[in-house]
Amino acid sequence: MTPSLPETDDELLIRMRRGDERAFLTLYRRRQAAIYRFALHMSGSATLAEDVTQEVFLALIREQCGFDPERGTLSGYLFGIARKQVLRHVERGRSDVALDTEVESSAVPELMESDDPLTFLIDREGIEALRRAVLALPRRYREVVVLCDLEEVDYGEAAVVLGCPIGTVRSRLHRARALLLEKLSQKWHHRPGVGALKPIRCLI
Amino acid sequence: MPELAHEAQDGHFEHVRECPACAALLNRQRTLASGLRTLAGDWRSVEAPVRVESRLRAAFLGQAGLAVSHPATRWWVPVATWAMATAAVVVLAMFLARDRQPVAPAHRTTSNRVQLAAADPPADLETLGDPSDAEGDFIPLPNAARIEPNEDLNLVRVEVPRSAMIALGYAVSEDRASEPVEAEVVLGADGLARAVRFFE
Repeated sequence: MTPSLPETDDELLIRMRRGDERAFLTLYRRRQAAIYRFALHMSGSATLAEDVTQEVFLALIREQCGFDPERGTLSGYLFGIARKQVLRHVERGRSDVALDTEVESSAVPELMESDDPLTFLIDREGIEALRRAVLALPRRYREVVVLCDLEEVDYGEAAVVLGCPIGTVRSRLHRARALLLEKLSQKWHHRPGVGALKPIRCLI
Repeated sequence: MPELAHEAQDGHFEHVRECPACAALLNRQRTLASGLRTLAGDWRSVEAPVRVESRLRAAFLGQAGLAVSHPATRWWVPVATWAMATAAVVVLAMFLARDRQPVAPAHRTTSNRVQLAAADPPADLETLGDPSDAEGDFIPLPNAARIEPNEDLNLVRVEVPRSAMIALGYAVSEDRASEPVEAEVVLGADGLARAVRFFE
């Protein structure tokens, strides 16, 4: 007996629109974590991330939700709503204050410990510094890093979510990573024993 | 970071091996990529609080409940009910506006589900009515069409001012005249009101 394949998002959405509660819960449980993490990485606020997650799926519940399977995946559609919601909150000024302060300790997972003193970004402090560096990126760079590097959304889908060409996604990612390295280098230089290292470039 | 693998495939390793600056840069980018993967992995278990699911579930059931309660195949049921109720209220209001005295019923029949009362309600109320909730039997409305023996009747419950009872011969004190009272209106097959009875 072959196991049945899990239903696709689109199939679940169709059932959900017919009033199937189980389909809605399956869809929610499949997608909520990524949406919540996206909002949390973008805002640094667990409260705001919770609100955004709720608003995203409320929008899906409403019959007038504008999801069109021809234009992209449901996952991308949900990320798109989440992004707009985060931006709306940021414009209201709610999350700016919260960026580095409101992430609740319960929402942050235990980070990996490493005995390797040379690998700055593997120990707990380094990963936390990286998270803060992502949070401190300008919004347009932060969103591509969160989508593509942290949530592993492919560039094409990220382009749909962000409403820009795929080349723009690539260039923003390139710039975002450079900014992250700059920020982390500053911190690296403040670590004992690595102060002598300096950024170097090759002109070739 | 797919770009790093791409660069490696392009034979850039030869250059990197000879250029300490590029080797350092590549190493830093790899370290960053590794750090981002670690961060993503560490956050993989982060989820929205359970209360969000509870709230959304309630919202979904509310939304779905509305949709299910109005199946497309029976859309006419609530429409017809409201139409009949509206018609009953309009007819009753027209009757009350004319401020007529109640007249004796044109007929009494037991063939229908509705048993009509006499024009003198107080005497009849105790004997003919349903003692559980109604004040008495149905009082035919003046000028209303006669109820045919096999006519298909509908019953609609409405709320009217207590002063409406005065026009049908009930004694209502002046200070309670504006209070609402429930009434059942008998609608004929044509949707027009034929008789009424009041509830206390």
